Amino acid sequence: MLRGGMRPGVAGTDQRKSPILRRGTPEGHVLITFESVTKRYPGGTVAVDSLDLEVPGGQTMVLVGPSGCGKTTTLRMINRLIEPTSGRILLDGQDIMQSNPSTLRRGIGYVIQQAGLFPHRTIEDNIGTVPLLNGWGRGKARARARELMTLVGLEEDLARRYPYQLSGGQQQRVGVARALAADPPVLLMDEPFSAVDPIVRATLQDELLRLQAELHKTVVLVTHDVEEAIKVGDQVAIFRPGGKIAQLDTPERLLAAPADGYVENFLGFDRGIRRLSFLAASGLSLDDQAVVGEDTSASMAADTARRAGDEYVLVTGPGQQPRGWATASDLETMPSGARTGQAPLEPYGHTFDVRTDSLRAALDATVLSPTGRAVGVDDGGQVVGVTSYERLRAAIHAAEQAVPVPGTPGGAPAGPGDGQVRDPAPEAAAES
Amino acid sequence: MMWSWIPQNAAQIRQLTLESAYLGIAPALIGLLISLPLGIACSRWRWLYAPVLSATSVLYAVPSLALFIVLIPYTGLTDTTVIIALTLFSFCILVPGVVDGMRSVPDPVRQAATAMGFGTLRRLVQVELPIALPVVIAGLRVAMVSSISLASVGQLIGVSSLGYFIIDGYQRDFPTEIYVGAGLIIVLALVCDLLLVGLRRLLTPWRPGRSSGETKTVAPAPVPTPMVVAR
Repeated sequence: MLRGGMRPGVAGTDQRKSPILRRGTPEGHVLITFESVTKRYPGGTVAVDSLDLEVPGGQTMVLVGPSGCGKTTTLRMINRLIEPTSGRILLDGQDIMQSNPSTLRRGIGYVIQQAGLFPHRTIEDNIGTVPLLNGWGRGKARARARELMTLVGLEEDLARRYPYQLSGGQQQRVGVARALAADPPVLLMDEPFSAVDPIVRATLQDELLRLQAELHKTVVLVTHDVEEAIKVGDQVAIFRPGGKIAQLDTPERLLAAPADGYVENFLGFDRGIRRLSFLAASGLSLDDQAVVGEDTSASMAADTARRAGDEYVLVTGPGQQPRGWATASDLETMPSGARTGQAPLEPYGHTFDVRTDSLRAALDATVLSPTGRAVGVDDGGQVVGVTSYERLRAAIHAAEQAVPVPGTPGGAPAGPGDGQVRDPAPEAAAES
Repeated sequence: MMWSWIPQNAAQIRQLTLESAYLGIAPALIGLLISLPLGIACSRWRWLYAPVLSATSVLYAVPSLALFIVLIPYTGLTDTTVIIALTLFSFCILVPGVVDGMRSVPDPVRQAATAMGFGTLRRLVQVELPIALPVVIAGLRVAMVSSISLASVGQLIGVSSLGYFIIDGYQRDFPTEIYVGAGLIIVLALVCDLLLVGLRRLLTPWRPGRSSGETKTVAPAPVPTPMVVAR
């Protein structure tokens, strides 16, 4: 829900609950298990060192860390592109070493950096790769490909083009569609968005969140970008060089309580501010006293402001839409009988949605506002109330009390309560 | 130039042109067939490529006439002798072509194919070879053109081709015959080359258009061996 509010650009195309793809594993069920897995290369380099990791079904697990920390090796061991030196990896309870590699891989979607599309195949045949390998007819595989193109937001007329005719972002969408084509419960993503520019990357991340809110696949995503990890991960495993996990936690708890200096350093600047992304703006108590209709008399509005000890009131137009800020001193100097709407108004700036946005959005809007107060609106754009730094401070404090930060970092998998905090509510995802 | 000579000898010209085409094209195609497995092996086991490349370079340096003479005790003064020798030369040109072709397959593509669940053979046939095709065809163009022109040397051991006109014209001091022989060899090579370019375009609609590269008659093929003098 909260992250939903952080991405104004998400197209809410899907009212349907995925007729194309099944939902992945029910949440809470552990789908992939690493049992003291070690990968040692000839020459002695240890890429992954005695790793224990449980990937819960239906969630996005992000492996993040600097290069050479073993995150990519860890990912590639799941579909046996790399085989562990010791230890066991279980997929849905089955030791992966016991299945035929090709069969195993056809049941696991794989998205690679730079998409790795087959340059000699059309888009539809690229997407239909795994269905074709599984013995579907070409016609059926192509029909399937077209469904998936719609799902990942590609125009159908691209179906017969070749990869070189597509932009980087489009190619990456094809890569995701291709990975989903056989409807695997597990999706492995190896730095999927690192080869595209930041704007496209943000869009693709939003798309992933949208798809995941709908599909609940078990996603393991590798990235070196901690922002990306925090944005798309339900859980984030931060690796340290030498193939060990420094901390495994929800993004919010990582930001709130990094296990050690390494993690804190890796998380980077603004940890406190970024954490506000995970706190709902709905927890903010807004001031509706300072909101006056444009038809209110100017003197009354001035009185309201003065009584509250404020310099500004927010003037609203028809349908409670915000119009701008009026100062109490302007209102006082207006002739008697004048309406508030006739006062000189300062622009109200950015608004935030009290239902879907985070405290970070509210804080940002407040900082940007010339009056030091920001306007909270509901989904119809109607003014609910206005912020103040005092109110923000109280809301942040209250939220911190409500979501206790565990004293034992680096530890336990998410409890049931976390699912609620993390999960973009389907309605919210379909909004905007 | 005595133009009337041409219609007077039309039948022989046609006959020898076909002979030349056969002696030039067959070795290039057979060379392709045998260089594919070796080239694929060399791209899979990298240690194999260095010795193979040395061997093919040495072989390519052998003068064609010398190779004919080595073969005569076994296959006589026949087409077979010429075809075997030219096949070996084509092979020398094509092995690096196949290896470079296989190397032109981007790593992420190969990796994606494996991760999608292609087995080794299926990946080779459905992914790697189709992507290697343009580079392999570039090598084939060089092999075919060189083999068409080398076929004329076979005339020295009595295997007839357009080379006959060149030698005969020289011996009789009759330039027209030399021009016709040499000219037709060049035309034949150009036509075959254009056909291969056409084939490449037909088979690789997935390549970004590179019109500047298309008009060249000799591809910038990956030929590691210097064109040896003693042809």
